[in-house]
Amino acid sequence: MASPSSATSLSSTDPTGDARERPPVGLLVLGILTGVVFLGPFAYVVSRNVDLGTDLGSIIWSADTWEPLRRSLWLGFMVSATSVVVGTGLAWLTIRTDLPGRRVFRILAPLPLVFPSFVGATALIAAFATGGLAEELLSPIGIDSLPDMNGFRGAWLVLTLFTFPYVYLPVAARMASLPPSLEESARLLGRSPWGVFRTVVLPQVSSAIWAGALLVFLYTISDWGAVNLLRYDTLTRDIYADRLFDQPRAMGLALVLGVVALIVVSAERSLDRRRQRVEVVRTRAALIVPLGRWRWPALGGVVLVLGNALAGPVAVFVFWGWRGIRANSDTIGLGTDLGELVTPAVHTAQAGLITAAIAIAVVLPVAWLTARYRSRVGGAANSMVVAGFALPGVVIALSIVFWAIDAPIIGRWYQTFPLLILAYVLHFGAQATRAAHVAVGAVPERLSDAASTLGAGRVRRFFTIEIPLMTPGLLAGAGLVMLSTMKELPATKILAPTGFDTLATEIWSAGESGALAQGALASLALVAVSAVLTWAVVLRRLDHY
Amino acid sequence: MKTPLRILTALLALTLLATACGDDSGDSSSITVYSGRDQDLIEPLLEAFTAATGIEVNARYEGSADLALQIQTEGGNSPADVFISQSPGALGLLAGEDRLAPLDSSLTGLVDPGYAASDDTWVGITGRVRVIVYNSDLVDAADLPATVLDLTDPQYAGQVGVAPENGSFQDFVTAMRSELGEDATAEWLAGMAANNSPNYPKNSAIVEAVGRGEVPLGLVNHYYNLRALEADPSLPSVNHFLDAGDLGSLVIVTGGAVLESSDAKSEAEQLLAFLLNEESQAAFAAGTQEYPLLPGVAAPTGLPALEGYATDTIDYSVLGDGLTGTIELIRESGLAQ
Repeated sequence: MASPSSATSLSSTDPTGDARERPPVGLLVLGILTGVVFLGPFAYVVSRNVDLGTDLGSIIWSADTWEPLRRSLWLGFMVSATSVVVGTGLAWLTIRTDLPGRRVFRILAPLPLVFPSFVGATALIAAFATGGLAEELLSPIGIDSLPDMNGFRGAWLVLTLFTFPYVYLPVAARMASLPPSLEESARLLGRSPWGVFRTVVLPQVSSAIWAGALLVFLYTISDWGAVNLLRYDTLTRDIYADRLFDQPRAMGLALVLGVVALIVVSAERSLDRRRQRVEVVRTRAALIVPLGRWRWPALGGVVLVLGNALAGPVAVFVFWGWRGIRANSDTIGLGTDLGELVTPAVHTAQAGLITAAIAIAVVLPVAWLTARYRSRVGGAANSMVVAGFALPGVVIALSIVFWAIDAPIIGRWYQTFPLLILAYVLHFGAQATRAAHVAVGAVPERLSDAASTLGAGRVRRFFTIEIPLMTPGLLAGAGLVMLSTMKELPATKILAPTGFDTLATEIWSAGESGALAQGALASLALVAVSAVLTWAVVLRRLDHY
Repeated sequence: MKTPLRILTALLALTLLATACGDDSGDSSSITVYSGRDQDLIEPLLEAFTAATGIEVNARYEGSADLALQIQTEGGNSPADVFISQSPGALGLLAGEDRLAPLDSSLTGLVDPGYAASDDTWVGITGRVRVIVYNSDLVDAADLPATVLDLTDPQYAGQVGVAPENGSFQDFVTAMRSELGEDATAEWLAGMAANNSPNYPKNSAIVEAVGRGEVPLGLVNHYYNLRALEADPSLPSVNHFLDAGDLGSLVIVTGGAVLESSDAKSEAEQLLAFLLNEESQAAFAAGTQEYPLLPGVAAPTGLPALEGYATDTIDYSVLGDGLTGTIELIRESGLAQ
């Protein structure tokens, strides 16, 4: 065991990293297998295009494709940019400063991710539309014209408010594990808090920021719920509009979306390969920066963001629930309606937790290949896993129907729990893989090498040294997967076992039958369940590291 | 330190257990229903059916378009026996791909010939009437148009909410194509687009917008506003039924079908027959304010009788087949931009 590990420690001092050690065969096989499974949705889209005889040329060279594609990319870029600012800022303020109430904000900050975007858009429309709630509240004080939230502006706002946790969680996890020494030196040299943040903290978290920004981008270009309700005509909105009666076009556009995602993912990966790797082991508690006179303005900013992303929607739901219960006290009762939400809440938690654990386990070999060995095979598998996130949920779900229903053995699992979990993992594996990549990158090879020299075996090193060091990063990834799974709708509706209602499906069916109050109660339950789980699974442990 | 491994193992075991439990039997005294109609509405009727016949029903609920897509993708191994659809378009698509089994003529004969597929692949269950919903604070009833064709008039510029991606709107445009022809339909759509008619993602969004006063008029199905008024009776939104025979008062059916791949076709037909009996039809009228299609069952209280709305000139099978063309026509018009 001594000779390969000494090779590792030699190459780790080589910044170009080209002369790397070859990865173990077992790990390569796992990586290839993962890549092949995640290829499923893409293979389905390609196969449908072939079957339908899609005239791809006329789709690609049509303004009817370019315009929605341009809007998708523009929206994706803008939402990513604002999410980076909001997510990184919140992470720094809540983890590294003496911001008042930071412990509470740490629990609240990831939660906006749990709102399905159609729910967030509905709340925004209810609040800001002509004659909506905000107008009712503001007209007495003389404000009676509100900005029009339809189109780009509304979609940008809603998607930023509900996706910035993709940046917040990995960055917060990273910041929580940074060693304080550099920052201490910088402060001793007289740098302001902002200066310390810019010159010391930011470079060390840039990999996590990029990871989050990529997820926001991919989520945005695959989103249908918000852009549909707010009427911003993106590629995904066209895919949905044409999915039944113009299938060649829908599938052609899905292919365009998938290829665009692959290009973006590969480009980001090649940038990431060039970024310097920061290996960190924390020996002491993270440094807390005193905000001084910036304390209250900073608090104001945090309250503004979380007020709009969390308190605002919650207020709208409380209002709807309360109004519905008052108006129809004979048909809607707080006790009975909340009682009916218990089983869906349990299903939601179950799906979220199991998917998160399996997603982490599945993507860890790929992350190991890319972060430790910079393997090309690992890179290809990684691109498959990550780009899958850009395909709309309904496409992922149908691809599983397509591959599984006629397959021997697996076909019998159709509409059972394991295939549902597989769909979730295929859809959200990207969120785990980028976080896992960052986590593996945080493990100093020399530590593992030292343990190996001392006679620790591979398995023992993994569990005693590497897992504890990776835990913050892995938990951040698990938290993202968990929250995304808990709000997932299209795959749940197509693949869940019959009768497996989740809170997301309850919200959807309440919306379909116009039962605003029940939908509001289910939304509140979803926020409550995710708050408890986020705290119990992710944040409570993050605090210990 | 082995805890993570232990947790993972436990989770995997749990998953496998869930698989073992999820094994379903191909028992023919149970049927699977894919329902594009709301659970709140259909579930009590399905329970009554099970109580009456002893046939168990597994029901899955989703949007009609997505269910049609799912059935199409599932192919010959689809678990579904019955498909209940919000719109004739989704049924027509599956019929066109030979995925629906022809129904017994005693079943399709329960409703007027206009309310079933001409090839007996599906039967109508309820009807919805297209209406103009208007805000009575903003619009005087006397100023409402006599026909939906007048809405292209410049006086309605920016005044009429539409949902070009909604199935019912598309069915209405398809009917217009079969009644007036391609050119006249394209001209009407272009007129609506030139009027900058604000577009919405679905019927309920139009009704909400009219209720708030965001847009004074909207083209929707009749029951959305009735439901909105149930939740909040103070809303100023009112349904305007156009004269019988006008395209703007088209009757759009919801329908049911039995899948060609079903191995329980007779039980499946029993369910459709049950949904067309007097009690179920009356329940639809009371529960959703939709029109019963079984002759002799009263229309929902306060609504004009369906008999006034001649539909025999419109061939519903054309509505299904022609939807691809309709969607293209709507896209070319620019109405959905």
